[in-house]
Amino acid sequence: MPGTQNENFAARVMNISKSFGATTVLDDVTFDVNEGEIIVLLGASGSGKTTILRIIAGLELPDAGRVILHGKDVTELPARLRGTGVIFQAYALFPKMNVEENIGYGLRLRRTSKAEIKKAVDRLVEMVHLEEHRRKFPSQLSGGQQQRVAIARALAYGPEVLLFDEPFGALDAQIRTTLRREIRTLLKQINVPSIFITHDQEEALELGDRIAVLNAGRLEQIGTPYEVYNKPETEHVATFLGKANLLPGVIKDGKFTAGDISLEMDDEVNFKEGQAVTLVFRPEDVFLRVAANLTQHYQELADGVVEEVSFIGAFERVGVKTDVPESGQITVIRPKTETAAFPLSVGHRVTVGLVRFRVL
Amino acid sequence: MSANLSNVRHVRGFDIVKPLSIATMIVIMLPLVLLPLASIFIFGTSSGLDSFLAALTAPEAVFALKLSIVTSFWATIFNVLFGLFAAYVLSKYSFWGRNALIVTISLPTAIPTAVAGFALLLLWGPYGTLGRLLDPEGPQIMFTAAAIILANIFVTFPLAFGVIKPVFDTMSSSLEEASATMGATRWQTFWHVTLPSLRGAIVGGALLTFARSVGEFGSTILVSGNLSSRTQTAPLYIFAKFNEGQVEAANAIAIVLALFSFAIFSILFFARDWLEAE
Repeated sequence: MPGTQNENFAARVMNISKSFGATTVLDDVTFDVNEGEIIVLLGASGSGKTTILRIIAGLELPDAGRVILHGKDVTELPARLRGTGVIFQAYALFPKMNVEENIGYGLRLRRTSKAEIKKAVDRLVEMVHLEEHRRKFPSQLSGGQQQRVAIARALAYGPEVLLFDEPFGALDAQIRTTLRREIRTLLKQINVPSIFITHDQEEALELGDRIAVLNAGRLEQIGTPYEVYNKPETEHVATFLGKANLLPGVIKDGKFTAGDISLEMDDEVNFKEGQAVTLVFRPEDVFLRVAANLTQHYQELADGVVEEVSFIGAFERVGVKTDVPESGQITVIRPKTETAAFPLSVGHRVTVGLVRFRVL
Repeated sequence: MSANLSNVRHVRGFDIVKPLSIATMIVIMLPLVLLPLASIFIFGTSSGLDSFLAALTAPEAVFALKLSIVTSFWATIFNVLFGLFAAYVLSKYSFWGRNALIVTISLPTAIPTAVAGFALLLLWGPYGTLGRLLDPEGPQIMFTAAAIILANIFVTFPLAFGVIKPVFDTMSSSLEEASATMGATRWQTFWHVTLPSLRGAIVGGALLTFARSVGEFGSTILVSGNLSSRTQTAPLYIFAKFNEGQVEAANAIAIVLALFSFAIFSILFFARDWLEAE
């Protein structure tokens, strides 16, 4: 079982497979969500992430596998009996109901008394800061406000799990950042297990307690944002979650070897002698120095020539062509402190050192 | 500077094209629509209000108006309910023959109303395909109010459907899915979520169907038998009175029908905002 093992899981997806016609959308996907945990399913479009969400919500049936919510097998249960709270991509607020009616709808369906509905609506409206907008209709609200209504509406009836279908897709960049921080804080306050789907890696890193990376219907890796970012288990995970430099090589004497390069590996992974592997390192884990001036703290990769220097706001991006034959240009990101101390320009010869790397 | 000047002149200047185009439009409409309508009112009131009221309250006239309203009412109820149902099925489900069904439902608009009446006669008449199965001594369909309702249903069949279906088509399926995940049955979703969004389309479709039914002539004259105070609708009454030379009697009802249409289309036009309001 990948990820954290915990018998008190809130939701568990077990060996889910699903095909539409000849296309396999999900292939044996398994993961679980702990109480109060936020899991982000990260993948490109077509990776199957929406289908997983729809299967958990009961809007789609899997071909194989089970969905367990709080210990109960709900695989065959229709959507209305599962008690999930879904926040749809375009929010799906009921256009002819005002904010209060939208939020109270789930309780109304459960035949809750009017007084109780009012109490719950009051509490939720306050929680999502929509006190002034409670009588407004969805069309009179901004995107961010609509999303708060959608969340309050899903929370009203105490859902087993909250499912967010690319909830920030329709918002502009600034609101998106503010809102996702706000929502994370809110979810941590109320401690409801949540599953987000997104294709935005920055969003995944910031929102998730754990991130599950999907590729073509398969779950490639699940782990904390730190693990997934710094210890990617596949090339796809390494390149999808942030930028990564890849360098093919072989294992020789227990070291990564490519041409003249020879790197000691501190990972616990065991490789066979002579095995073809790929060296993966992030642009920000590269250190550039004029030749032979590298401190011991970094492992030397190779010498090279600066081919490209571009200013990208908070950072500088440098393209370096190493002396290793057949290797491509590697990308290096340098913070301002670095660029001020060691300014570089095209044509400079440098030594490339790695702070952190991974061999796959 | 010259650009500024021309702007000023454009804003403040007198644009001759505006009054000219409005006047042209009205001049074209005058002999084609406005004068014919006006002449009904001019003629109707020419012999005084008393004779107009007398013509209007004649038992035959009152019966014809009532019959038109009652038969149109039932045709409207049926066509709105069916239109709603058909629009739901044809928007929601994809199946073989779906487009053929959409075309078939829309067909009655293109069929001459006389042909529609004739077709109903061939089906339900004493020697018709189904009519011959009816007991000749028992209740009949042709030449009764039921025939008028059937004819109204036929000729106004696509109207409510045509207004409701586009609204269904543009309705996001995620609304229904959201309602389901919140715990609603299909019926609860339809009642609380789908139906309120269709309010404008349903009222609009109903008004169109009703207005069209009240004015129906071509098919009703064939299937109703045009029997005074029995199966004579308001348009048939106008036709009959005109043929009998009682132009004033015909005109009184014509005024009522014209005002009625005017009222319905005013509601459709001015109440659009209210109907579509969130």
